[in-house]
Amino acid sequence: MADVVLDKVVKKFGETEVVAGIDLTVRDREFCILVGPSGCGKTTTLRMIAGLEDVTAGDIRIAGETVTFKPPRDRDIAMVFQSYALYPHMTVRKNLAFALELRRVPKAEINKRISEVAEIIGLTPLLDRKPRQLSGGQRQRVAVGAALVRQSGVLLFDEPLSNLDAKLRVHMRVELKRLHQQIKSTMVYVTHDQVEAMTMGDRIVIMNAGKIIQVGSAMEVYERPATRFVAGFIGTPPMNFFEGEIRNGGIALGGDVQVALPRAVEAGRKVTLGVRPEHISLHAGKPHAAKVPSTVEVLEPLGNRTIVTARSPAGVLQIEAEANPGLKPGDAIELWFDMSRAHLFDQASECAL
Amino acid sequence: MRPLVAPTAVSGAPPMQRLAFFEREGPFGYALVLPAILYLTAFIAYPFAMSIWLSMTDASAGASKWNYIGLDNYSKVESWELIANDFVIFDGDKAEAQRIADQHKDEGKVVTAPDGDRFKASLQIGSHTIPVVETNGEDDATYLATTILNDLDWQVHGGKVVAHAADSPISFGTFEKRGDANDARKKSVLVDSTTHLKANGTGVQQDPNFLLAVKNTLKYTFGTELVKLFFGIPCALLLYKKFRGRQLLRGLLVIPWVIPIAISGQAWLWILDSTYSVINWLLVHAGIISPANIFNFRGDANLAMFSLVVVNVWRGFPFTTIVILAGLTSIPDEIIERARLDGANALQRFWYVMAPMVRPILMVSLLFSVVFSFTDFNTIWIITRGGPYDQTQVLSTYAYQVGVNAGYLGKGAAISLFLFPIMVVTVFGMLQWLRRENM
Repeated sequence: MADVVLDKVVKKFGETEVVAGIDLTVRDREFCILVGPSGCGKTTTLRMIAGLEDVTAGDIRIAGETVTFKPPRDRDIAMVFQSYALYPHMTVRKNLAFALELRRVPKAEINKRISEVAEIIGLTPLLDRKPRQLSGGQRQRVAVGAALVRQSGVLLFDEPLSNLDAKLRVHMRVELKRLHQQIKSTMVYVTHDQVEAMTMGDRIVIMNAGKIIQVGSAMEVYERPATRFVAGFIGTPPMNFFEGEIRNGGIALGGDVQVALPRAVEAGRKVTLGVRPEHISLHAGKPHAAKVPSTVEVLEPLGNRTIVTARSPAGVLQIEAEANPGLKPGDAIELWFDMSRAHLFDQASECAL
Repeated sequence: MRPLVAPTAVSGAPPMQRLAFFEREGPFGYALVLPAILYLTAFIAYPFAMSIWLSMTDASAGASKWNYIGLDNYSKVESWELIANDFVIFDGDKAEAQRIADQHKDEGKVVTAPDGDRFKASLQIGSHTIPVVETNGEDDATYLATTILNDLDWQVHGGKVVAHAADSPISFGTFEKRGDANDARKKSVLVDSTTHLKANGTGVQQDPNFLLAVKNTLKYTFGTELVKLFFGIPCALLLYKKFRGRQLLRGLLVIPWVIPIAISGQAWLWILDSTYSVINWLLVHAGIISPANIFNFRGDANLAMFSLVVVNVWRGFPFTTIVILAGLTSIPDEIIERARLDGANALQRFWYVMAPMVRPILMVSLLFSVVFSFTDFNTIWIITRGGPYDQTQVLSTYAYQVGVNAGYLGKGAAISLFLFPIMVVTVFGMLQWLRRENM
C-alpha cells in the first residue's frame, strides 16, 4: 500500500502563493497525472511530495505515514527528473546502483535488481557506458531505470518526456504505460502536455493557479469539463468558445447568430458556449444541429482529416472536417453545431452549467 | 554550364586573374593571420630560440664575443679535482706504528727522486722509507709529500698510522673527466688513501644555489597549490550557498586577485617588516610573545619561505575559489536533488557527486595555477628578493640574479630553460589526465 494523500497543502514563496491549499488522494498503484499550464503549481506539488520543497501548511502522507517534515531519503519515493539528472561521471550501472549502495543493499541484491530492471527497460547492452555516450531516449530509460531499481512505493515523474523529440515521446508514452502495468508502484506524473495526460493516466488532476480544478479519468474530463478552463485545456484542436446570452430558448451569440438549445436555461443569463471542433459539421442532418453561416479562412490538411479555420459572425472557429472537404479559402459555408454535445459555461464563474 | 566569372566588359585574361586572386579566400586568410604570425615570431619564437642559443654560449655582460660551449652551462660537472683526506702511512705492528707516529715530527723528511719520466716522493721516518706520491713534476711531488708529512694530523688507530687532513683536503690538480681523475689517483697516490672527487665545474647543476632554487620552486609551487585547494574548496562551498550579501562577498573575494602584486606586495612588506610588523605588534600586545622573541618574517629562511607561500596563497586562492564555484554552479540542481532522493547526506553528495563533477574544471584551474606559481617572479622579488642569503631563491629569480644582475647571460638562460622541460612534463601529464577524465 503506497497511497499519497495531500491534505490542505499550501506552498508560498515569500508572499506568492504557488499552491493554494490542495486536497488530493492518489490511490495505491494508480497512475495519476498532474497537468496544467506552466506556473500552475503542479511541479511544486510534486516536489513537495518528494520532499525537495518545504510545505508551508498542510500535511502529506505516504502509505498512511505523515512525511511532511521528513527528508527526501526517508520517504518511500523515487523520482525521474525532466533533465534525467544522471550522474555524468558514473557508468549506467553505477548510476543505477548509487542509491542502493548508499542504502547498503547487499552487492548480490544490487546486481540482481539492476539486471532485472535493465531487462525490463532494455538497458542491458548499455550498462557499462557513460551517460554522454547515450542518446536522449537512452538517457531517459536510464533515468527511469534508476528510479525503478529503488523499488519504492511511489514513483514521481517530473515532465520526463519533454526533452525528447515528438516521435520518441509517443513511443516512451506507451513504454511508461506498459511499465506501470508491470510494476507495483504508485505513479505521480507531472506534465503540461494534455495529450500525455489524456493518454497515460488512470486519473488526471487538472491544476490552474495553484488549485485543483478537476479530477477524473481522461474521458470524464473530456466529456464533462468542470470549467471553461478545463474545456479549453483538454483536446486538440481546442474547443471553440462563443460569448452569448440566453434568449428565447436559445443563445444569442455575437453577430446576430441565434442557436437553439436542447435544454432549458433561465433567460437573460450570460453564458459561454463551447463546441469541440469535431462536433461542428459541414453537413446538416443531425438532430439538435444549429446552423451558423461562415467563411473559410485557412485549411490544414492532416491526411485523415482537415482542420478548417472559418470566420463566422459570432467569431473565428475551428472545425474538424473530412480529409477532402472540397473547400478553398474564401468559400462561404454553412456550419452545423451539434448542440447535444455542446457545453455551456457561466460567464462570471466559468463553471459548467 | 554557366561560367563562374561572367564574361563581361572586362576582356582579356590578366584582369580576370587579378579579380580571381582577390576572390579567393586563401590569400585573404593568410593576410588575416599574418599579424599574429609576425607577433608570435617576433615576441615568442625568436626570444625562445634566442634563449636556447644563449644558454649554449659563455655569453656574459660586456663580453664582445660569445663562444659556443655546448651544454656546459647545463652540465653537472665540468672538471674534477682529486681530494685526499686520509693517508694510511703504515699498517702493521702496533708498537711500531706508535713509534713511526711519534718520530715523524722530529725525524721525518721528504726525499724526492726521479723514477723513469716521473718523480717519486717518499717519507723517511726512522728506518722506514714510505713512498707517498708520484707526479710529473718534481716540485709537485715534494710539495705534496711535505704537506702530508708536516701539515697533516698524524694519528694511530690500532696498528695503523694515518695522516689525517682535517681542515683542507689535499688537491691533486684538476681533471676533465671522472675517469682521468681515477687514473691519476691510481698513478699518483702510492700509499693507501681515502680520496674522493670534488667537482668544481661551472654548469648550473653544480651550483648549490641552483639546486636550492629548484627545491624552493617545488616547495613554493606545490605548497601553495595544496593550501589554495585547502582554502578554496570550503570557501567555494560557502559561497555556493544562497545568502544575503553573497554577490558582495564574491566581489570582495577577487580583490587580492585583481590588485597588482606590485601594490599589494608593498602592504605585505609592511605586514612582514622586521621592526614594524603588525602581526608582531598584535602578538606582543596580546601577550602571546615577548618583544624579544618577535618573528623576523623575511630574515629567517624558513619563515621567509612560509611568508612567500602565505602571500601567494592570499593572492591565488580567490582564483581557485572562483573556478571551483563556477564548477559547482554548473552542476544542475536536479542532480543534487536526485542525490538527496537517492539518500546521500551532505558529505556523500559532495564526495560522490559534486567533487567528481567539479574535478575536470578544477584540474584546469590547477594547471593554470601551477604554471603561474612555477614561473612566479614578482611575489618573490618584491617580498624577499630571494633572501635571506638566497634561501628563498626560486628558478625565475635566480635566473634573473645570475643572468642579469651578475651578467652571466648564458648561465641565466640555462637556469630559466630548466623550467621548460619540467613544465612540459607537468602540463602534458595534467592534460593527458583531463583527456582521460573526459572520455
